[in-house]
Amino acid sequence: MGTRGLHLAVISLLLLGVMVAGCAMRPATTAASGAGRSAPAPAAGAPGSSSASNPSGAARPVPSEFVAVRDLQDIHFDFDRYDIRPDDAKMLDANAAWLKANADRLVLIEGHCDQRGTNEYNLALGERRAKSTMNYLVSQGVQANRITIISYGEERPLCTEQSETCWAQNRRAHFLVKSR
Amino acid sequence: MRRTSVIVVIGVLVLAAVDPPWPRTPAPRAQGVDVYINVTGGGAKKLNIAVPEFTVVAGTDTAGLGKLLASVAGNDLTFSGLFSVVAGTGAIPPNSPDARGQLWSEFAAAGAHAALHGLLALRGDRLETEMRLYDLTTPEHRLIAAKKFEGATAQPRRLAHKIADQVVLQFTGELGIADTKIAYVQGPAGAKEVWMSDYDGANPAPATRNGSINLMPVWSPDGRSLAVTSFMQGYPDLYRIFPFERRPVQTLASFVGINSSPAWSPDGRYLALTLSKDGNPEIYVLAVATGTLRRLTRHAGIDTEPTWSPTGQQIAFVSDRNGQPHIHVMDPDGANIREITSGGFHTQPRWSPKGDTIVYTQRQGTHDLWAVSPDGSNPRRLTAGPGDNQGAGWAPNARHLAFQSNRLGRWQLFAMLFDGSPPTQISQGAEDRTSPSWSPRLP
Repeated sequence: MGTRGLHLAVISLLLLGVMVAGCAMRPATTAASGAGRSAPAPAAGAPGSSSASNPSGAARPVPSEFVAVRDLQDIHFDFDRYDIRPDDAKMLDANAAWLKANADRLVLIEGHCDQRGTNEYNLALGERRAKSTMNYLVSQGVQANRITIISYGEERPLCTEQSETCWAQNRRAHFLVKSR
Repeated sequence: MRRTSVIVVIGVLVLAAVDPPWPRTPAPRAQGVDVYINVTGGGAKKLNIAVPEFTVVAGTDTAGLGKLLASVAGNDLTFSGLFSVVAGTGAIPPNSPDARGQLWSEFAAAGAHAALHGLLALRGDRLETEMRLYDLTTPEHRLIAAKKFEGATAQPRRLAHKIADQVVLQFTGELGIADTKIAYVQGPAGAKEVWMSDYDGANPAPATRNGSINLMPVWSPDGRSLAVTSFMQGYPDLYRIFPFERRPVQTLASFVGINSSPAWSPDGRYLALTLSKDGNPEIYVLAVATGTLRRLTRHAGIDTEPTWSPTGQQIAFVSDRNGQPHIHVMDPDGANIREITSGGFHTQPRWSPKGDTIVYTQRQGTHDLWAVSPDGSNPRRLTAGPGDNQGAGWAPNARHLAFQSNRLGRWQLFAMLFDGSPPTQISQGAEDRTSPSWSPRLP
């Protein structure tokens, strides 16, 4: 990565000049180099690499290290919605209580969709579901820095039948934990 | 190339009758090529063309390449929607103008307007071909054009594609799209890899093999790389892979949250993409060489799936800011956002390479492809089942679309002419195949 990174940096400087000189888009003055990367997301440290590629990867825990626990229940969503349903809020209250009682655990919230809709949109929808769930837990006193979210969109269905029962099972936020 | 007289005129002599309100990308036109076929008109009459077995002029054709190349080129011409290949048998012996003239007379009597004759020289691992195009409506069977191509013996079909593309150029003023690839996603839920094949489904080969989930491949405008959303590092990050080169995967974006929906700017220097690092899915533009990032959208709803106009002066995208997801258009700095579809569930916008149309997917029970003008006028349905029809990708000629359909059960890839002629299935196999991206014309 060392010489390659240096090489990229040199090319980047050269190309930056070309871009400023001959940019086909509107002037890029509002986007100071690197500034777009410095806004930290709630659960991550501020990224600071000067090569575009991997600004924040190090801040993220490895999803495969998390495991399911029986105490944390999935919640579910209406079609194309990412607001928390009243009945599911009660389940989230219980999840929040367990997480507060087990403060040594980090939690990964997975956002999932049913197979209807399209992959790209569902990836964004799953992200919103995980995020709504995270926000609710934070509002109940779970520290934001214990929570990581991931969207799988429609890529990891629990159930593959073409029925509303099955689709409803797939529209979920799922919880996994690991020790700090 | 000599300028030829116009003998077989089908359709109008211009490429488009109405000018769009933005600069049009000039169609590549070879010097002195006459335009015989109006490629933008729907339902144009087809030109009847004879494609006899290619004549082997050097080497020994043990593999039957003379037959294969004629068959592949004939299929390409049929697929173009511009030609009808006239059935007929008979090979032309080398150096036999008399035999050739005889065969052309027979094909002309059977209704052929033109004939494609391929010459083939087999030289070890190299193949040389020459295409010769004849006008059968003249008594002397005038030679319209001749051009030589050379390639690897291991890739004979590619030479046939180049020849077919040249024939399309001779009759329309624009190269055909047979020498292209389609990238797509293959595999069951949770184990999807990116594959690519020739545009006709031949030569399928994996482009990723990382055992995670790989989604939404999108060709770069130079045809050398693909942007791919992959979970290979655990999270949905955006990578660039180089399927024709021994070159490592490049990470394009791996911010906290989703990194997805890549769309290359027409000049290839920028990538519009969706990131949720600032709280929820928003659209950004990444300068590929420098990593400079510019945020375009600021809304509490979902903003995703950007697609550039061919001039780079507009970006269409999906937003649910007014309730259900609809197609919106904005300037490339994020200003001047306006909604161009309403009253439905609309995703997957894909701006035509010619600029005048945006294709998208409408969900209404099942999914079907629709098209709309960039100003929101003239929304119209392109498919009406069976099953779901979605995930369109434009061919570089802006006349063909690839898409995924489960009309036969599993998801498979299909292609159709934009004017709504019946689709052709282009993928086969037991596993689901989705998310086609049609490459530019290959270098």
